[in-house]
Amino acid sequence: MRARLPDREGVVTRGAVHVGFEIFGHGEPALLLIPASPITHARSWKGIVPALARRFTVVTTDGRGTGRSDRPRTPEHYTPAEVTADLLAVLDAASVDRAVLVAHCHAVPWALRLAADHPERVAGVVAIAPNIAVAPPHPYAVEAERRWADPVDGPAGWSMRNRHFWRQDGGYREWIEFFFDQQLPEAHSTKQYEDTVGWALETDAEAMIAEREGRAAPPAGEAEALGRRVRCPVRVLHGSDDRCQPVARGRRLAELTGGDLVRLEDAGHLPQSRDPVKVTRLITEFVDRITGVSMHTTTWTRGPCRPKRALYLSSPIGLGHARRDVAVARDLKRLRPGLEIDWLAQHPVTTVLDAEGEHVHPASQWLASESAHVVSEAKEHDLHCFQALRRMDEILVANFMVFQEVVEEGGYDVVIGDEAWDVDYYWHENPELKRGQNVWLTDFVGYLPMPDGGEREAFLTADYNAEMIEHIDRYPWIRDRAIFVGNDDDIVPDTFGEDLPPIRDWTARHFSYSGYITGFTPPGPDQMAALRAELGYRDDELVCVVSVGGSGVGRALIEKVVAAYPLAKKAIPELRMIVVTGPRIDPATFPPRAGLELRGYVHRLYQHLCACDLAIVQGGLTTTMELTAAKRPFLYFPLGHHFEQNFHVRHRLDRYGAGTCMDYLATDPDLIAARIAELAGKPVSYRDVETDGATRAARLIAELI
Amino acid sequence: MRARYPDGDGIVARDGVEIRYERYGQGRPAILLLPTWSLVHSRHWKMQVAYLARHFTVVCFDGRGSGGSGRPPEPAAYTDAQFALDAIAVMDAAGIETAVLVSVSCGALWALRLGAEHPDRVLGAVFIAPTAPLVPPLAERRVQRFGEVLDDPVGWQTYNARYWKTHYPEFVTFFAGRIFTEPHSTKQIEDAIGWALEIDGETLTAAHLGLECCDAASTQRLAEGVARPVLVIHGTDDAVRGYAEGVALARCTGGALVSLAGAGHFPQARDPVRVNLLIKQFADRFRR
Repeated sequence: MRARLPDREGVVTRGAVHVGFEIFGHGEPALLLIPASPITHARSWKGIVPALARRFTVVTTDGRGTGRSDRPRTPEHYTPAEVTADLLAVLDAASVDRAVLVAHCHAVPWALRLAADHPERVAGVVAIAPNIAVAPPHPYAVEAERRWADPVDGPAGWSMRNRHFWRQDGGYREWIEFFFDQQLPEAHSTKQYEDTVGWALETDAEAMIAEREGRAAPPAGEAEALGRRVRCPVRVLHGSDDRCQPVARGRRLAELTGGDLVRLEDAGHLPQSRDPVKVTRLITEFVDRITGVSMHTTTWTRGPCRPKRALYLSSPIGLGHARRDVAVARDLKRLRPGLEIDWLAQHPVTTVLDAEGEHVHPASQWLASESAHVVSEAKEHDLHCFQALRRMDEILVANFMVFQEVVEEGGYDVVIGDEAWDVDYYWHENPELKRGQNVWLTDFVGYLPMPDGGEREAFLTADYNAEMIEHIDRYPWIRDRAIFVGNDDDIVPDTFGEDLPPIRDWTARHFSYSGYITGFTPPGPDQMAALRAELGYRDDELVCVVSVGGSGVGRALIEKVVAAYPLAKKAIPELRMIVVTGPRIDPATFPPRAGLELRGYVHRLYQHLCACDLAIVQGGLTTTMELTAAKRPFLYFPLGHHFEQNFHVRHRLDRYGAGTCMDYLATDPDLIAARIAELAGKPVSYRDVETDGATRAARLIAELI
Repeated sequence: MRARYPDGDGIVARDGVEIRYERYGQGRPAILLLPTWSLVHSRHWKMQVAYLARHFTVVCFDGRGSGGSGRPPEPAAYTDAQFALDAIAVMDAAGIETAVLVSVSCGALWALRLGAEHPDRVLGAVFIAPTAPLVPPLAERRVQRFGEVLDDPVGWQTYNARYWKTHYPEFVTFFAGRIFTEPHSTKQIEDAIGWALEIDGETLTAAHLGLECCDAASTQRLAEGVARPVLVIHGTDDAVRGYAEGVALARCTGGALVSLAGAGHFPQARDPVRVNLLIKQFADRFRR
């Protein structure tokens, strides 16, 4: 799912060629993002668009030859005159009088031409990795260029940049895979590589050849003159390890235009993809400088005059963490009276926070929905959560940029992130942005591959684990405290991957343990009757609560259990089934059945789970551990391909001797009905779950402030 | 020892008064740190100079009546127009065509005149804790009777010409305490008192009387005439020029207002880091 959808989209038509564009936001000034089409298109800006669009009007275009644009196949359609005319037409169609142009690679000369020939339309230019002949190209590129039109036999490496090879079967794809491998020299770039190769394959060899031959890139002398003709402010961003365009070109372009050069050390050719946070900030800073709008009415409070403040982030995928985070926050306020806590949170977590009277920071409205993304990734009782997390990359960076603004303005003493992946990842990638003390909480450590993912998935999970381990090794001061919500033997006995350490050993070295945090104390045997009465449960009925968490992924499981209800009811006449669909599934969308109760969001659902005679749930940790702590019998169905539910949670529940694990695909309504009859109301013998986890976690945090 | 010494300095004589100025650094744009009331001289910018000079050309001068500048005795020598013309003379002598103006307290009065009447020399203006008589003065200052004879004046009553003749150091001590209301400001208070004792009560009296011409109407007219970007920085706990003056000036000039919660009248001395960053952020837009 995209982090932000355009507010308007359209197409301009010049000659017979259609060129697509999108518009995001409505602030001043406007930015026109120009990709190096047709090898890539507007989606290549996905890491920077959401944050920029909160401040500015952002116009993106695919460029002719790719994306939603037409793919003319002759060079005369790709001359600079044609392409710059497209860009002006896009500005006109977007009703933009004047824009800051952000251009990448060979789109930079187009932007410079616009700035030089139409200065009234261009307020400034950000040139990323400029491809312009103001300094020599890489030597290997010269050789490839010389032989561009020659027939080649079995080329390798840069000599694959050849029109004949691209026309051969699979030749273009082979070139693209080589090219983007070169352009992403940064470690752990698998997702960026998959993205850029995918976009490049949305065009074809003929359009690419036509563009290359029609491009008419200015030769050295003309390129110098073009640079000198630009009068507007210019900023150049260039990676020192750019294997497409040498950084000398960026340096020289900055000199010629009187602009500044930001050299991105050890970055490759695609910093907007690989270092989106830094690139967003550099663009924003440049725009603010040239427009002078950065000074706005605001308040700065003298350091000694500030109340102690915490910013709490609760992972929003489901409702799992909300309850425990509220419990930790309560104890923290008790330990540090006067502490103010703001929550940066999104639906459905805000449902719990609002009900508990907690203060949700207003910037929360800018967060892109992680929960909706997860639902969009789910199939029938199946969620490949590792891949879903990878594909959530643009949402994570968009939300990190919101977080970073909040934390820079809020003067927080401590940031508490309960599985706030965006904060943890991007603070390690951009360590200079860290503010205040930082607490990381999690209830699992280590991505694990699903067996049917084969070698590729094993490689990818190990690569992600390795990146995390390297982050912690290199910047041990980013996490001031890491808290594992659980105990040492809750951790799986696996390793992080080939040649990587055992998860349990590594975690012991880098984490403190809070024990499990239920967020409530389960009722004792003497309190049960009163609780059941309060909830309206009679002694002569067997109450079965069906709950599928807060994420909206659980529809299929509900349907299967509902189908089992008539069978189970027949076997146990005293059965009462209550299905809680959660805040993201409308209970009215299920057909009513006599005797079956359907409810949406139920506040303090844990009380119902504590008082029930049987629960049927997904394999999420929070709900299953609530049932474990309350010692209720339950059936749990781990989501397919969900490594956390299938490995981490299951390992932990096995340790407690809790629950009956069910395979969704192998279970039919008859089996569910049989299990209900077998387990409802039966005593269980689970290990005890500690009740002081929230207090222990709060103490670990309070020490920092 | 200073954090940074000037790269150049000089004296410019205007209207028979010598004005001593200093120049630091060489970046663009130029920043002109204006004098304030003659009570203190240009060293009150000591926390700004070294930092700003690494990025910009910085020029400051001792206002007439203070430091190394002349001390004309007559009030007519201390009008806002005189200070503004001194600033132009200093810019000319230092070879500065245009500058970002930064002022504190009643330096605002000359900055407004420069902004409204010499717009070709001004890129923009930062007003720190501005004297902007657009709103009534602070309630506690209403007991002031500058020209009257008072028996045993206390508090703001010591803002009094006769008292300054005999008890100038006592007034200076009181006044420095009102500038710095923040706890733990001993060093800033010692500095201010030390600089203030470099002049005498008579000079300060002339400097006060010269500014009596600056009223609400003239201030509003000048403020509305400023067409350059403006930033106002004002402490919410300013006990000399109320926070409301900064709010009113920002509104009148259409400028941005940065409120410094908990800050007093001289944030450039008491909260120098934040003030430095704000000045830099404001001036950066004129870099090219």
